[in-house]
Amino acid sequence: MLNKKVNIFLLFIAIALFVFLPRFLTGYWVRVLTTIFMYAVISQGMNLMSGYMGYLPFGNAMFFGIGAYVTAIGMSKGLPFVLVIPLAAMTAILFSILLGTPVLRLRGHYFAIATIGMSGALLSVVQNATEITGGAMGTTLPIIDKAPGVVYNYFYLAMLGLMVTTTLSIHFLVKSKFGFGIRSIKANEEAADSMGINTTFHKVTAWAISAFFTSIAGGLYAYWMSFIGPDEVFDVMIAVNTIVIMLIGGAGSILGPIIGAFIIELFAEVAWSAFLEYHLAVLGIMIVAIVIFVPKGVISAITDVLKRKKISVRKKVTL
Amino acid sequence: MGLQMLVNAILLGGLYALMGIGFSLQWGISGIINLSYGAMVMLGSYISLEIFNFFQIDPFISMIMSGAILFVIGAIIYRGLLQPFLKGGIVFTLILTYATRLIIENIILKVWSADYRTIRLSYVGSNFQFGNAYVPLIKFLAFLLAGVLVYLTYLFMMKTKTGKGIQAVALDKEGAQAVGIDVEKMYMINFAVGTALAGITGSLWATIYSFSPHLIGVIVGKVFIIAILGGLGNIWGAAAGGLLLGFAEVAGASFIGSEWQEAIGMVIMVSVLLWRPYGLMGKKFFA
Amino acid sequence: MGENNTILKIESLSKHFGALKAVDNVSFEVKRGEIVGLIGPNGAGKTTVTNLVNGAYLKTTGKVFFKGSDVTNLKPFQIARMGLTRTYQVVKPLVGMTVEENVLVGSLFGRGNRDSKMVNATRRAGEILKLVGLDKKKDFLVSDITLPDLKKMEFARVLAMEPEVVFLDEVMAGLNPTEVEEASKLVKKVRIEKELSIVYIEHIMKAVMGISDRIVVLHHGKKIVEGLPQKVVNDPAVIEAYLGKRYVKGMKEVNNEG
Repeated sequence: MLNKKVNIFLLFIAIALFVFLPRFLTGYWVRVLTTIFMYAVISQGMNLMSGYMGYLPFGNAMFFGIGAYVTAIGMSKGLPFVLVIPLAAMTAILFSILLGTPVLRLRGHYFAIATIGMSGALLSVVQNATEITGGAMGTTLPIIDKAPGVVYNYFYLAMLGLMVTTTLSIHFLVKSKFGFGIRSIKANEEAADSMGINTTFHKVTAWAISAFFTSIAGGLYAYWMSFIGPDEVFDVMIAVNTIVIMLIGGAGSILGPIIGAFIIELFAEVAWSAFLEYHLAVLGIMIVAIVIFVPKGVISAITDVLKRKKISVRKKVTL
Repeated sequence: MGLQMLVNAILLGGLYALMGIGFSLQWGISGIINLSYGAMVMLGSYISLEIFNFFQIDPFISMIMSGAILFVIGAIIYRGLLQPFLKGGIVFTLILTYATRLIIENIILKVWSADYRTIRLSYVGSNFQFGNAYVPLIKFLAFLLAGVLVYLTYLFMMKTKTGKGIQAVALDKEGAQAVGIDVEKMYMINFAVGTALAGITGSLWATIYSFSPHLIGVIVGKVFIIAILGGLGNIWGAAAGGLLLGFAEVAGASFIGSEWQEAIGMVIMVSVLLWRPYGLMGKKFFA
Repeated sequence: MGENNTILKIESLSKHFGALKAVDNVSFEVKRGEIVGLIGPNGAGKTTVTNLVNGAYLKTTGKVFFKGSDVTNLKPFQIARMGLTRTYQVVKPLVGMTVEENVLVGSLFGRGNRDSKMVNATRRAGEILKLVGLDKKKDFLVSDITLPDLKKMEFARVLAMEPEVVFLDEVMAGLNPTEVEEASKLVKKVRIEKELSIVYIEHIMKAVMGISDRIVVLHHGKKIVEGLPQKVVNDPAVIEAYLGKRYVKGMKEVNNEG
């Protein structure tokens, strides 16, 4: 996009802005922003797989659930949060490798469906393994013994940090040799094979990375909420929301998930209070509208407009 | 106990068979993974509910109405919403059919609420003996009709001009185009047949079980499994898949406990995907 | 293997699709630095042989030896990294990427055990682009360039992998006579500069004649003739394969009368 140094400067400004923002906002909006950051992280994971590599893991929310539950169970055994989170992440990575290696051999359609199946199966297992997980009733986590404002800020900063880390990591990953491998898979998998790219390795590793970040978001969420239930953290709506976020922001662009998360969450806040009884239909209509009007996402729409302006300016000059 | 379980499994499986065929056809031939399928099944149930309440007409008869209405709805949705965006790939079709589900689900919630509804037929409760097993009359009728409809769908695909056109398109799109078949129309009719079957299944379902929007997600989960077991687009495959799922659920409920039913179904599906991605019957259409 | 001049050895290769024998017991060798023409009418099995050799298809029977090693059961990416590569009859560009990026991928992933630092790989890709004459178009998206350029790009992509053997699958398809001439010159130039061995697949005799050291002819999946271009082009079996039995019979009658 712009000059590299300018980019880094802008990045610092943006991060600083967000770090100090909570001072000027009510607790409600701090929580809204925290949710936005969280969805941005999950969408980045989705974007890596789908936007860049062309494999849609419709059931990716299962890593969110895994992260949440491993954290909950770990902390209920007395382990501190900082120890449990890496554990949760590693569990998620393990799942992605074990399940991914056989399934990622299949075509895109089948992979998407298989992940839905896995997510559903995992949900059922968690619901039924009552001794370990608390079953359908859910499970609690230790509450932080501090004032609510402090707690909100703590999680706000944690999610912000996670979002920045995830975005930067994926940004550099995509520009690396590995990133070219991933993009080649989307561009033409058969050609990628014959060019020396180990496609199975790339696919499984990409999914493991996606699982890593998504599960940490889940773990943070669990600690933040102090109470989670299986329906909530394995909810297919999480996946649907992240797909919509990815689409509206722009699949295959690094800022897309962040912008998409802002747009969707803010819209949801507004729509919820206005359309409570119709919120499903409104979401449905909004999805259709996005597909019709900004199928490539908001970022692409804006750059297209800018390109057209550039061209028309040039025309004027040459005349 | 064995015979009763067998009877239960077959009766349930027959209904599942009909339910799965529509979804399998849509996925296998029209190339659409229809996440709103569950909502369409339920719509069929509610249509029969209203007709029953207003006109006291049996769902076994009003299912024709359900089928017709859902056929039209399916055609409109395909032509208006899905076909223009097919080039967007799987992400678009999944998200668009999901949006359709949300809209239909919201309508159902608004009009009929989330409460479970039933249709009380006068002859509910009567059953007959088969060996030492009880066969509920209503389930048996539903099973018979499901079977007839599966066969009619097969005949439609094999013997009618339109059906053969759909087959042709499924086997070789360019070839079909070259001989003058309107490919898009075939895809649309195929999709609409799928939604019609969903609606009819809903009516049959309503004769036996209670229904509510809560079932929407559950149904989608089941038809996924059936379609994959049977191989996409394969009518007899889906029928077999439906029966298989019926067996798995009935047996699973007896031996493992009904809470694990869904998990069993999902595990079966993922296993099949890993081992035989083209379904138990392999890569064939219709037969 | 006997002579260490043989870089690729194909032994009794077969591919059956059910009852259809797409490739039936085909064997031949390629020596270092050779251009071997692989010809035959449409449907003879030339592309299938390519797919079998590069690992894209599973072999029904047969073995493939590359630089002395048995590569029969390796995956396509492993074979590519060893230096055995191919282009596609219907080009397979990496859609959504630029010309430079396409060639860069070849430079990064081909020949697995050498330097794949981004800076060096980009430099190497740039050199290849200049060699084939695409350096001015390197920032174009592949969707925005012409077919001859796409073919050049795929050739460049393969070259960037620093291969030792390249299967060129009908590179001339879709090109007009001028473009064919240009392409032939490029292949000859590159072969010398890069010390490549090439298997040159074509179904047009004329295109292959001027460039091949040796020719292998396939028909209905079988190898029917192998030898020097002059010998092959006059072989009655070859003529029959291309033009049919009646033509050959007619020719025989004409010869007898004359």
